Amino acid sequence: MQWDTTVSNEEKPNEKTRAIRARQRAIGRELRRMYDDVAQEPVPDDFLDLLRRIDDAEDARTGKKVS
Amino acid sequence: MVAPAPMRHEPGKDVGKDDGDGDFKSELLALIPFLRAFARSLTGNQEGADDLAQETLVKAWQSRATFIPGTNLKAWLFTILRNQFYSDRRRAWRQAPWDQDAAERIPGGGEDQIFSAQLSDTARALRCLSDEQREALILVGAGGFSYEDAAAICKCAVGTVKSRVARARKALMEILDGDDTLEGVARPAEGDAAREIMAQLDRLTPTTESGDPGGKRRPK
Repeated sequence: MQWDTTVSNEEKPNEKTRAIRARQRAIGRELRRMYDDVAQEPVPDDFLDLLRRIDDAEDARTGKKVS
Repeated sequence: MVAPAPMRHEPGKDVGKDDGDGDFKSELLALIPFLRAFARSLTGNQEGADDLAQETLVKAWQSRATFIPGTNLKAWLFTILRNQFYSDRRRAWRQAPWDQDAAERIPGGGEDQIFSAQLSDTARALRCLSDEQREALILVGAGGFSYEDAAAICKCAVGTVKSRVARARKALMEILDGDDTLEGVARPAEGDAAREIMAQLDRLTPTTESGDPGGKRRPK
């Protein structure tokens, strides 16, 4: 789809509004794609290690034995 | 409380001091991908984002007693992450306000210059927005949060989020469709002073659009 950003004021506002909305939707899809791309990455191992370490720290703090 | 909630962790495996902690941890685990995505959009780079997401997990675990079960855990975690992001950045800014090396280490600031070459146009354009506009747009436009939840996360009014999202969308389009605006992405780190100036400009803008340059005759 072509949209000339230098569109003159004399042109129908409806057409311009439609073009802007279509452009906004395209940008919205790109934003979601960027966000989803990261969210779909496998969780790095350091995160899983961190959750495990949290357990150990908790056990140590509450006096449980750490395996 | 009649019966405890069913345990989601493996039976026989000691994951915490009670069943609630095990559940809490498995819910944290499930939300890590979204924490990473939100952190990435705030910092603009992977390494800083993952550090921030990990700090958030630790903070969330330490504060788990303050989480109200049945409320939105994702929004709660995003609030912690956002607070952590701004407090880390404030600290970096205070330590060496006019030190260019330090400014370039500030997340969301000069560091972006290094990474911008690898980013898409949209990602680079996102770096041009103010923090307020960027976070509002990401939460609502990409993260799928309601305006109400986004307002709670950003500690502002619902109407403020709505106007920030609208202005962010407009600005993003202008940047992407403008010819030379993207050249300005590699601008100096946005400090509190710069943001304050931008905020003042935001407040001034509407009055300059009244089309009454003389300001003498103001039709009612």
